[in-house]
Amino acid sequence: MSDHLLPRAAFLRGAVAIMPLSLATAPWGLLAGSMAIEANLTPLQGQGLSSIVFAGAAQLVAIGMLKGGAGIFSILLTTALLTSQHLLYGMSLRSVISPLPGRWRIGLGFLLTDELFALTSQHDKQQFNRWYALGVGLTFYIAWNLFTLAGIVLGRSIPGLEHLGLDFSIAATFIALITPVVRNVPTVVCVAVSLFCSVLFSYWQLGSALVLSGLAGMTAGFLCNKLYRGRE
Amino acid sequence: MMVWAVIFGMGLLVFLNRYVFLEPRLPVRLSSNARQFLGFAVPGMLTAICGPIVFLPDHQLNLQYDNPYLLSSLVAIGLVLYTRNTLLSMLLSMAFFFLLRWWLA
Repeated sequence: MSDHLLPRAAFLRGAVAIMPLSLATAPWGLLAGSMAIEANLTPLQGQGLSSIVFAGAAQLVAIGMLKGGAGIFSILLTTALLTSQHLLYGMSLRSVISPLPGRWRIGLGFLLTDELFALTSQHDKQQFNRWYALGVGLTFYIAWNLFTLAGIVLGRSIPGLEHLGLDFSIAATFIALITPVVRNVPTVVCVAVSLFCSVLFSYWQLGSALVLSGLAGMTAGFLCNKLYRGRE
Repeated sequence: MMVWAVIFGMGLLVFLNRYVFLEPRLPVRLSSNARQFLGFAVPGMLTAICGPIVFLPDHQLNLQYDNPYLLSSLVAIGLVLYTRNTLLSMLLSMAFFFLLRWWLA
């Protein structure tokens, strides 16, 4: 994984690593495409959402709001709330990405999704490989846009796609990434609080449920860590 | 026209969210506390993404044993602890999930 790996090998390794998650987002990509057509967007606008915005949850909500006749200001405000977790990802990856040249920063910044963060965040300065990150991000971007295109072409002919249970692959991947990290009491507290809040806030249908529950979990873990260290 | 304005506005907003802390000229030096806090980003954020998928399938709270998401998640955790192999646990728990759904249906 380290920097002396050949660019092509690292890129390919990233592209392979993101494959399961790329396939897991197939139903949402298809949905983003077909919903855009259903909401009377042109095919180009539907594809534009995926290629310019590139944020699944925000896209689906925005399409719903456009269909319901919401104003541009309320759509943008909702987008800001729904995608605010990216601020945390940027902060967390700042030490490895901010020293890179401008085109790498902008490229990786544009491609920074939940999935890219999940696969690169455990790398420190020595382990981080820009080509690996690019392989992950670019493959995911292309997959998302291809699924959107398929959704646009197939239009309304794919009912019940979101009930197939393909979203479990997202949970399975993230569980496999989280479990090995949970090694001490503060992390257990962090996961427990985050889990509880995410279920509660989503049940209440808060727009920023994701980032609020993540922050709550992180704060709980951080405070618990402080208490622990204070006693030693 | 309004739709394109929405698309470009959203694109700009999401990009700024993603990019702002990657900009080296942004005068932020993360303190040791901030670093410790961000150390919890992986378990905190990824758990928050999983929570609703596992406990609220179809936007309904389901804590029953016949919720395949819940049961398969427990299997996934067990597999990771037992095999220590991320990819294998992922694939096996997904296989378990689809078999269970097929069996419950």
